[in-house]
Amino acid sequence: MTLPIVSIDKELCTGCGRCKTVCPVDAISGLPNLPHVVDASVCILCGQCVQICSGYDSPLEEYATSREERLAQRGMLPTTTEPLFAAHYRGDLFPLMAALHRKKTFTVVQCAPAIRVAVGEEFGLPYGTLTPGKLAAALRRLGFDRVYDTNFGADVTIMEEGAELIDRIKNNGKLPMFTSCCPGWVKFLEDQNSDLLEHLSSCKSPQQMAGSLFKTYGAKIDGVDPANIFSVAVMPCTCKKFECERPEMNVDGCRDVDLVITTRELAQLIKHADIDFLALPDEDFDSPMGCYSGAGNIFGTTGGVMEAALRSACELLTGKPLPSLDLEYVRGGEGIRKATIQHEGVELRVAIVAGLAHIEPILEDIRTGKADFDFLEVMCCPLGCVSGGGQPKVLLPAQMEEAHARRKAGLYAHDQMLPTRKSHENPEIIKLYKDFLGKPLGHKPHHLLHTDHIKNQGK
Amino acid sequence: MKIPYQLNPFVVADPNKCIGCRVCELACSTVHAHEKKPLTVGSMKNPLQPRLYLVRTIYGSVPVQCRHCEDAPCANACPVSAIVQKDGAICINEELCMGCKTCILACPFGAITLMPVFEEGHPVQQNVAIALDEYSNEMVGYKQLQVAGKCDRCINLEHPACVENCPEHALQLIVPENHRDARMQEAALSLGFIVKDCFS
Repeated sequence: MTLPIVSIDKELCTGCGRCKTVCPVDAISGLPNLPHVVDASVCILCGQCVQICSGYDSPLEEYATSREERLAQRGMLPTTTEPLFAAHYRGDLFPLMAALHRKKTFTVVQCAPAIRVAVGEEFGLPYGTLTPGKLAAALRRLGFDRVYDTNFGADVTIMEEGAELIDRIKNNGKLPMFTSCCPGWVKFLEDQNSDLLEHLSSCKSPQQMAGSLFKTYGAKIDGVDPANIFSVAVMPCTCKKFECERPEMNVDGCRDVDLVITTRELAQLIKHADIDFLALPDEDFDSPMGCYSGAGNIFGTTGGVMEAALRSACELLTGKPLPSLDLEYVRGGEGIRKATIQHEGVELRVAIVAGLAHIEPILEDIRTGKADFDFLEVMCCPLGCVSGGGQPKVLLPAQMEEAHARRKAGLYAHDQMLPTRKSHENPEIIKLYKDFLGKPLGHKPHHLLHTDHIKNQGK
Repeated sequence: MKIPYQLNPFVVADPNKCIGCRVCELACSTVHAHEKKPLTVGSMKNPLQPRLYLVRTIYGSVPVQCRHCEDAPCANACPVSAIVQKDGAICINEELCMGCKTCILACPFGAITLMPVFEEGHPVQQNVAIALDEYSNEMVGYKQLQVAGKCDRCINLEHPACVENCPEHALQLIVPENHRDARMQEAALSLGFIVKDCFS
């Protein structure tokens, strides 16, 4: 690990302190009007500081570092025209371009759900415009050999995590169970609350599950040597850059995901390649691992993981589907929400936290044995991944709420229009388990799709 | 003919509240962009060009901008009458501006400056090319066109963008008569009605 993933440029920082206010783990320190600093040992890489920072490279000031040097330091393309801000993240487009250039390398890409409701904003479209078709088309024109999707990984996560929840409930396992798809949440537990690590689901995140399947199941389908596969993930998240680099995130020596770029980096790459995004036709993601259900798609918003899990778990547990697929009682905004689901004699109590700053009362309740829920979803970012640190940076703070709300609405709208809305009904998921994985929590899933958080903490 | 006498309103910042975040500059640039109002940083085609400028001093920071002066020196100085007083504001007609910089010399606040002109993200060139040297006819390129720009109090919008967006409410639109009204009320009250016998 060379450059820190999230840091503050001393030259551009005016010491306004707004990053300090928004940091959920108090990782930023600094005096008024003096450059602020991120403490990397506390930082969970959520990137909310990057989103709120308004200290840009003013044309009226003279900086010791030239713009060209600054772009190079940040790993950004020299063709970038946008203003640069003090709080920023490490850019990773150069290794990606090198990989796309190598003829022998078989490049596979996946995109998080939140990308398809935000990438269009970088091309002038209104906040939250849904563009999955153009996204797939752009990725193909960039030269990726396979255009798969994280939403497929999310469907796999539901299969595994749903089974794990049912197993813990039936067999007196550690409850409440925590979701483990948010890497900032996992890092927060490791760094500051390691006594609670046992509660985490053993599932890898959808990004990592998808990555490991691309190099095994996918490698077989395409007849490619896994050693030649370069697996890329486009994420709304800065912490995912850290997650993919974790040493234990590999299968038999091959990294699950080789590189993570953000929504913003993807847009920059599309512009750099002179692709006219707005003029692209709508294309589909590749089969089989680009096929997804609406449940997989809503992972990008707070409450989405919970809703996707409930759509499957309630039905698999009782044999009867929920009366409605639109579970309004788990949807909402920043803060803590709780709900009790009663279905065919089964009762499930759930809690959802959006915005890590709100987590303390929940942790307190768990430690004092007062937790009144069995399953907890935590997202570090205020509205979940749609408001992630790598998403298109909203220019004015007054518009952030609207931007996040529209992106969230876009994800639910997409879910409503999809033919399959439950992870366990995704035909490619059914086929994946029948032909390759066997049963959820079985030997192969355990090897490819699960991880040991306690053993691997602090890596 | 009725000659208006109310003072031109203007925006001013309170240095005690300013934290130096530059959101005012972002807001100003966004609403004055030579393109459809950009929603995200990545969608911007032109660079940021605010008309108010954050000044950082050892005492703290504060943005400065045009005062819409009564008998504005910039309007007086402009040799092509590109700066006029209209609807209680000092406005620049960019079409007439020839970039002579007399207004920059005239303004005691440094509130006016020349700004590069863009169209669809591309610099607009000046008509006058850059010559290789003063003797040859060989032209080696073009400079970007720049015209005078300053705070226009967002007269085409409901509220000044900087005032609306400042997270600390450090910027205020001052309507001078109203501002004095509030102060005079306080002064009068403190004199006569509370300490009744102090003049007897």
